[in-house]
Amino acid sequence: MFTGGSCGRALVVVLSVLLAGCAERPDGAGPVTLVFKHAKILGPSDPVPALLREFERRHPGVRVQAESLSWNSDDQHQFFVINLEGRGAAFDVMMLDVVWVAEFARAGWLLDLSRWVPRTELEPHFPSTIEPATWNGGVWAMPWLMNVGVLYYRTDLLAKYGLQPPRTWEALVDQVVRVRAAERDPRLDGVLWQGRQYEGLTVNALEAIWANGARVFGADGAVFPEEERAAGGLAFLRALIVAGVSPSWVTAADEELSRRHFGDGRAIFLRNWPYAMDLFQAAGSPVRGRVGIAPLPGRVGGAASAASSGGAHLGVNRRTRHPELAAALVRFLASAEAQKAMSVGGALNPTRMALYHDRDVVRAHPDFPVVHDLMLRARPRPVTPAYLMLSTTLQPEFSAVLVGVKPPRQAIEHARRRLAYLLEGLR
Amino acid sequence: MTARRLDDARVGRLLLAPALVALAVLAAWPGLWVLWLSLQRRIPVFGIERFVGPAHYAFLAADPRFWNALQVTLIFTFVSVALEFLLGLGVALALQGQRRGRRLAVALLLLPWALPSVVTGRMFEWLYHPSAGLLNVVLGGEAINWLGEPALALPALIVADVWRTMPFVALLCYARVLTIPSEIYEAARVDGAGALATVRDVTLPLLRRVLLIALLFRTLDALRAFDLMFVLTGGGPANTTETLTVYAYRSLFQTLQLGFGAAIGVVVGALVMFVAWGYLRAMAHEEEAAA
Repeated sequence: MFTGGSCGRALVVVLSVLLAGCAERPDGAGPVTLVFKHAKILGPSDPVPALLREFERRHPGVRVQAESLSWNSDDQHQFFVINLEGRGAAFDVMMLDVVWVAEFARAGWLLDLSRWVPRTELEPHFPSTIEPATWNGGVWAMPWLMNVGVLYYRTDLLAKYGLQPPRTWEALVDQVVRVRAAERDPRLDGVLWQGRQYEGLTVNALEAIWANGARVFGADGAVFPEEERAAGGLAFLRALIVAGVSPSWVTAADEELSRRHFGDGRAIFLRNWPYAMDLFQAAGSPVRGRVGIAPLPGRVGGAASAASSGGAHLGVNRRTRHPELAAALVRFLASAEAQKAMSVGGALNPTRMALYHDRDVVRAHPDFPVVHDLMLRARPRPVTPAYLMLSTTLQPEFSAVLVGVKPPRQAIEHARRRLAYLLEGLR
Repeated sequence: MTARRLDDARVGRLLLAPALVALAVLAAWPGLWVLWLSLQRRIPVFGIERFVGPAHYAFLAADPRFWNALQVTLIFTFVSVALEFLLGLGVALALQGQRRGRRLAVALLLLPWALPSVVTGRMFEWLYHPSAGLLNVVLGGEAINWLGEPALALPALIVADVWRTMPFVALLCYARVLTIPSEIYEAARVDGAGALATVRDVTLPLLRRVLLIALLFRTLDALRAFDLMFVLTGGGPANTTETLTVYAYRSLFQTLQLGFGAAIGVVVGALVMFVAWGYLRAMAHEEEAAA
């Protein structure tokens, strides 16, 4: 039964590759239009259109039509799923959240780019972007935009009390207590992070769990194999709230809510993504020139530092009528040249390591060499086709720990039981 | 004569046919399809598609997340509909008694109802903002965690929902109030009824039917509540604001467990139909009593 199924599937794969090959128009047989679906590029300027014109210039007879989706990640996912499951070929190239790549590859919605992209072409990208791109032996997507969890701190406050950015969370708590006792400002909060029940909570909780030396999946697929340590990581987050080191409203905070509060000068530390730096250093920002960036702390007796990576990859629709050109577009957009244009022109972080020391890029973003080191050590969230199932199952359990309605051990037990039912036969 | 009547019946059936076909295509067919789907384990990403019978329902019966979502849905529905009623009725009666500026009042009343729900959601997000929100500033700068505290999040959403939909009830009642002939009130006055007695014995009984209709609409809507939770809390903290439809959305669209999600959808459908049936019976009684 099982072998029959996989034989059938293999046949379908072979046939569709053959058919895709047949359907490919020979070059020069009339104008070809590629459709590129991407999330809205936020920031002061959008460098994508200029890059697409450049691609068109190099491929005469090809037109690239960029169509942007809403900025909401849930909406984007839903759009892609409905269209890809419906076998639509309305778009050729798509911008994918890094956590969807394995899912879309498993579903057979992505074209394997191995034919065009040798493994060596992925090497200049940060290591944590490669694991999702090459899930299960293929090359399903190319890394495009990079993200990593970082710790922002107030340089003025730390310098005033002769403190260095903390290496461990325990040290961070000590520093918060010390600075707040001396500042006597009831409006000054300690450390802010994202605890609202959404993907951001998964990221923050995973970082706490990793920092304490635990994993989500063991080598044998067991969920939270180091249960004690995982529970300890979650308990620490709860303790931050109970002790008042973090305000209680972090349980409702997302990136922007916490970023604004820190940006108003109302907190000593903030866990967020690198995008916030440009905003802190913008003209008129109350904290301009007083913000530093450091690795997320580790835990005493745990792992050194454990920041989650994030970002976007570029993939090709399996049903595209122009696989050759679509793959060329992906390779072009992920090239050093294009990524450089994106980071100089816009506020986007490239996935190519060398760009973080490029003279022009560093002039536009002076903090990039520091960010480079943080990204190098970043860890991807679990690379599994069932990632969204995993994350949406964990979110309410993590949230329950943060607001104190469930002890960590029980939350982990509940998550495990649900996952056993939902993931049955999937991994 | 009988032949004629038979003919009429046939023509009647013929005329009804398009409507019945439309209903069958638009309601019955998708309904049955969802029911069929809910008996399968179907996850397209993994190419899984097999019949599991009532396994999903058995899992739901023992699923604390499901019972929690059901409880949240029922509390939300009951409390928000009750508040909308009391306030809506109050506003309608106040409008009736108002002499000037009625048009302006009605226009203002329409505003919350006319706003898209996502806009309403964003607006309340700012009102409830812990450090810069208007609400906390008005309350003296205390950083109350409206959307992140388990005991406060659902009440905060209910307030937003009441603000948004109370005008619907108010306007329906007000429209009915306008059609009550003034002679009835004059007669009541002649009989010596006070203001309170007039409302209790004249206005309210005449509003009964329109109230029942408004109640039906609002209850069915509230049972399917989704947008406010989705925008403001995402169902959190700790799932204290996760309604059945949010749970169904997460399973169906976010994680693509089509069979499991469909099972939750079937439960929501059954719940809505059961409540609607109750209301329709109450309305039928009302008609009989009126006839």
